[in-house]
Amino acid sequence: MKANTAIETREENELNTAKFYRMKVYWPLYVMALPGIIFLIIFKYIPLLGSVIAFKDYSVFQGIANSPWVGLKHFNTLISHPDFIRVFGNTLILGFLKVVFVFPVPILLALMINEVRKSALKKGIQTTLYIPHFLSWVIVAGIVFDVFSLSGLINIVIGWFGNEPVLAMQESAYFRPIYVITSIWRDAGWGTVVYMAAISAIDPQLYESGMIDGASKFKQMRHITFPLLLPTVLVLFLLEIGNFLDLGFDQVFNLLTPMTYSVGDILDTYVFRTGIQQGQYSFATAVGLFQSIVGFILVYIFNRLSKKVSDGGLW
Amino acid sequence: MFESRGEKVFVSAITVILIILSLIALIPILSVLSISLSSKSVVEMNLVTLWPKSFTLDSWGYIIVRPDLWKSFFLTLISTLIGTGLALLLTALLAYPLSKQEFRWGPVIMIAVVIAMIFKAPIVPYFLTIRGIGLYDNPLVLIVPHILNPFNLIIMRSFFKQFSKELEEAAFLEGCGYFRMLFQFVLPLSKAVLATLALFYAVVVWNQFQTPLLFLQNPDWFPLQIKIRQFIMDDNIIMPGAASTIDLNYNQRTLRAATVIFSMIPIIAVYPFLQKYFVKGAMIGSVKG
Repeated sequence: MKANTAIETREENELNTAKFYRMKVYWPLYVMALPGIIFLIIFKYIPLLGSVIAFKDYSVFQGIANSPWVGLKHFNTLISHPDFIRVFGNTLILGFLKVVFVFPVPILLALMINEVRKSALKKGIQTTLYIPHFLSWVIVAGIVFDVFSLSGLINIVIGWFGNEPVLAMQESAYFRPIYVITSIWRDAGWGTVVYMAAISAIDPQLYESGMIDGASKFKQMRHITFPLLLPTVLVLFLLEIGNFLDLGFDQVFNLLTPMTYSVGDILDTYVFRTGIQQGQYSFATAVGLFQSIVGFILVYIFNRLSKKVSDGGLW
Repeated sequence: MFESRGEKVFVSAITVILIILSLIALIPILSVLSISLSSKSVVEMNLVTLWPKSFTLDSWGYIIVRPDLWKSFFLTLISTLIGTGLALLLTALLAYPLSKQEFRWGPVIMIAVVIAMIFKAPIVPYFLTIRGIGLYDNPLVLIVPHILNPFNLIIMRSFFKQFSKELEEAAFLEGCGYFRMLFQFVLPLSKAVLATLALFYAVVVWNQFQTPLLFLQNPDWFPLQIKIRQFIMDDNIIMPGAASTIDLNYNQRTLRAATVIFSMIPIIAVYPFLQKYFVKGAMIGSVKG
C-alpha cells in the first residue's frame, strides 16, 4: 500500500516535471496559435452563439443578454408568412436546379480533360476554364447584363436567325436559366480541380491491365476512372446538399432586377432585406437559422442514404 | 502503344469539344472588351460582336480620368495587399502549431476549425458582432474579417505536415526555436502553398461585395466592386449630365463595358504568375484536407 502511494507520488512528480518541461519548451506554439484562436472566437463563434436572438426579441438597447426570451415565436411567424413561403419556394427551386444541372458539369469536364493527350493543350484548356472563377459576381453580372442587353451579343445572334430580340434579364421566365448558366460559366471549370486531383491519384497499373485486357479509352473511362472518382463525387455531393439553400448572395443579388423579383428573391436576399435593411434582427436570424438547420438535416438524410447504397459518406 | 482508329477519333472529339468550350468561356469577356473599344455609333447599330469596330479608346479615356474610380481602385488594391499579407501570417501562425504532434490543443482546435467551416453563422448575428467591435462604417472591415479562412488553414496545415521530422529535430538541437523554425525554414520551403493561398485570399478581398454592402455607408470608403455595381445600375453615376453626349464617341454601354474590363485587369495580370502554383496547392488541399 505504502509502496503504491510512493510510486503514485513519483509518477505525479514526473508528470508535473513533464508538464513544466512541456510549457518551457513548447510555449512558442501556444503563443503562435493565440491570434488565430482569438480570430476564430470573434468572427466565427460569437456570431454562431449570437444566433440565440432567433429565440428572443432582440433590441439594440437591451443587448443580446437582456432581451426577453420569446421561444419559437419568430419561427411560427415565418412558417405562416406568405413572403417567406414564396422566398423559400424560390430557394428550393434554384437549389434543385443547381444540384441537377450545375453539379455534374465539373465531373464531365474533368473526365474529358483527363483524356487530352498533349499536356500543353491540356494546361491551356484548364487555364482558360478557370479564369471566370476569379471574377467577382459584380463583374459577371456586368458582363451578363451587357451580353443579354437589347443590342448585346445574344440578341445580335438571335437577330441573325430573324427572331425578335429578348430582354432576358428583365423577364422572370429567364431568371432561373440565367442563374444556372452563370453558375456553370463561372465555377464549373474551377470545380474540376478537385476531380483532377482525385483522377491523378488513380493507380496507373489499373489502366495498364485494362489495356492488356483490350479495354478501349471509353471503357477505361467508364469502368476505371469513373468508379474510382465516385467517392470524391459522393463527398462533394453531400457538401453541396449541405449548402442546398445557400445559393450565394452575391450572385443572386447582382443578377436580380425589379422585374425578376418574383422568381429570384431567395432566403439570402430576404434575410438581407428584412434583417439588415429593415432591422428585424430576431426574425431574420430565425430565417438564417432555419436555413442552416434544413441544410444540416438534408446532409444527415443523404449521408444515411449514401451509407445504405455504398459504404462511403461524410461520417 | 497500340491504338485503334476509334480511339483516336474518341480522343480528338473530346479535345475539340473542350477547345470549343474554352472559347465559349472567353466569348462573353471578349464581347464586352470589344464593346469598350468600339465607338458609340457602331455599338448602337448592333454591329459589334467579338471584335472592336471603328476602334476608339474614348470610353477608356473617359473612365481612367475618373478620380472616384481610381480612389476605389487604390483603396481596394491596398486592402488586398495588406489583407493578403496579414492573412498569410495569421494562417501560418495557427497552421504551424496545428501541424505539430506536441501541440496539446491541436485536436480540439482542429475540431473547432472544422465546425467553423461547416456551420456558417446567420448574417444578422454576424452583422451585430462586427458592428459591436466597432467595424461598422470603418474601412478596416475590408481587411479584418477576411484574414483567416478555415479551409485555407487546413490546406496550409496539410502542407506543413509533410516536412520531415529529422530536419526539424536537427535544427532544434542547434538551439533553433519554433519561431525561427517557422520563419527561416518552413515558410521559405512552402512557396507553392503560400502562392496558392495568397491568390485565394487576394481574390476574396479584391472581389468582396457583401461585406462592404453590409458595413460601409460612407461613399469615401466604397471599394471597387460597390463602385462598379453603382456604375452598372445607376445611369447618373457613370455619366453625370448625360443629356449633352450626342457628339461624344461613347455611351453608357461602352463606358460600363470599359469599367467592367478595367476592374478585371489586376486579376488577369497576376493570374499567369500564380497559376503554376495554385493548381498544385489546391490539389494538396483537396486530396488531404
